[in-house]
Amino acid sequence: MTRPAAILLDAVLCPTGGPMCLRVKHLEIGLGERVAVIGHNGAGKSTLLRLLSGFVRPVAGQLVVLNRSLNKPLSAHDMRAFRCEVGQIMQNLHPVERLTVLENVLIGCLGRTRGWRGLTRCYPPIEVKAAEAALASVGLMKQAETRTDALSGGERQKVALARLLMQRPRLILADEPTAALDPVAAREVCQLLVQASAGATLISVVHNPELLPLLADRVIGMKQGCIAFDLPIAAVDESCLDALYKRNEVPRIKPVSRQSQATDNNHTQSCLT
Amino acid sequence: MWHRVSRVLVGRLGFLTLTLLYASLVAGCLATLIAQDELSLGRRPLENLVRTASEFARPSFLDVWFGNPHLEYRSDDGTVLRVENRQAVETHYLQGLASATWTTFRIATLGSLLGAVLALPLGVLTARNLAAPMPVRLLAKGLLDVARSIHTLVFGLVLVGIVGLGSTAGILAIAFHSMGTYGKFFAEAIETLDMAAIEAVRSVGASPTQVFFNAVWPAVLPQFVSSHLYIWEFNIRDSTILGVIGAGGLGLLITEATSLFQWGRLSTVLIVIVLLVSSFDALSRRIRKALS
Repeated sequence: MTRPAAILLDAVLCPTGGPMCLRVKHLEIGLGERVAVIGHNGAGKSTLLRLLSGFVRPVAGQLVVLNRSLNKPLSAHDMRAFRCEVGQIMQNLHPVERLTVLENVLIGCLGRTRGWRGLTRCYPPIEVKAAEAALASVGLMKQAETRTDALSGGERQKVALARLLMQRPRLILADEPTAALDPVAAREVCQLLVQASAGATLISVVHNPELLPLLADRVIGMKQGCIAFDLPIAAVDESCLDALYKRNEVPRIKPVSRQSQATDNNHTQSCLT
Repeated sequence: MWHRVSRVLVGRLGFLTLTLLYASLVAGCLATLIAQDELSLGRRPLENLVRTASEFARPSFLDVWFGNPHLEYRSDDGTVLRVENRQAVETHYLQGLASATWTTFRIATLGSLLGAVLALPLGVLTARNLAAPMPVRLLAKGLLDVARSIHTLVFGLVLVGIVGLGSTAGILAIAFHSMGTYGKFFAEAIETLDMAAIEAVRSVGASPTQVFFNAVWPAVLPQFVSSHLYIWEFNIRDSTILGVIGAGGLGLLITEATSLFQWGRLSTVLIVIVLLVSSFDALSRRIRKALS
């Protein structure tokens, strides 16, 4: 790979919430790459993202993100500087409800705004202009002065995207950004996300295979805490996905009663689709 | 199938048991009341009602305009003991009433503020999502529960013994009792904070003070202000009775009027209380609506 690496994982071991461990022998993602991570529930996708955002630390191995080693805890100052460069967008990344849309977007520039302006929400005019431009590019300019609790789910996600534009991060981590949206809104949010990540590295976790070509040119499949495949988007086909989501590989819990079995089946179904 | 049936059955049975329990409780209360011969309306309820109501229907403040300027008090043999100008007496009473109203309002206002200030740290410690150490949390919660369960009047009686008669006892009594309610409201406001939104603000690299002023403050402030207005309003109602135990204000006039059976004056005082409380209620409702 000719591009410099934005992310480098070497022999990383990290406990997940469940019984498994995330084990990554080697993973390198270059600057400006667009990568999608797929896999069944509990495969370690979210843990991988949390590793990359510095939320958890590996118990073993090398982890370098944007030239910063995250093996040791960063100082508060370094952590804030690191967070400025990493933009996150999630299914449950809520805006602050009582603030207006514009104020929520301006939160994106808090990382580089110091002093009283960041505390009193009196941002410098240049940042306000930038925020308005960001809102215009996601098509929410009309609602700039509305309070965010009056917005729909898709609009809220667009506010989060505008905030991301405002933040200008070098690495964007998107954890199921479209999970709560209808197909049309999901598609729109994905397109905006790709536009927003121009020049930055975009790593997204998605469940819907239809969105893969929109979001990524490289797909990493995860299974049981390990990387099952790492292919360019053109090489990913139905058989790959079938192998990844194979039904009998899903860890089964012995049903306790009829009811729990029913929910277990539903769960399996939702994993498959 | 059996699970569902049994669950429905248990649910219905449980509710039936609760209803029966409640019914037997009410029956028990009524039965003991009747057994002790306490269920009575006195000897002449209708006559008394009519008399009291007719005196209530003529509030004393009307005397300012319609009172007899030469009311003569005579002894049994007809000699004039004293001539009273009812209009002047009533005007004087109304001035006293105004200052008593201000005293009551002052007790409620200062007491509420003091209660809020005292409750703020306790509420923060009690909020479950801020995860204060368990013993500290329980201690704070216990303090708030104790404060909430002791009535303002009880606090007042104890405090009158400590700091003496007067407004200070009333202010402290209001503060100590409403501290419990404030703490509960504050803790609930903090618990309904959207932690994901706070996490989101933190994730752009904001400093802790920036996170506080951009995510916590705007979400919590309106709720704090609205619960403050609510309890303040409640305390205005509460402080009118505090005068009964010697904290001054409207309550003092109520005791005076009731012990002299001056229902006309009591009626005047009650009209003032109703006006005070309902106008403050209307005002605070508007402010709360504007804030939400």
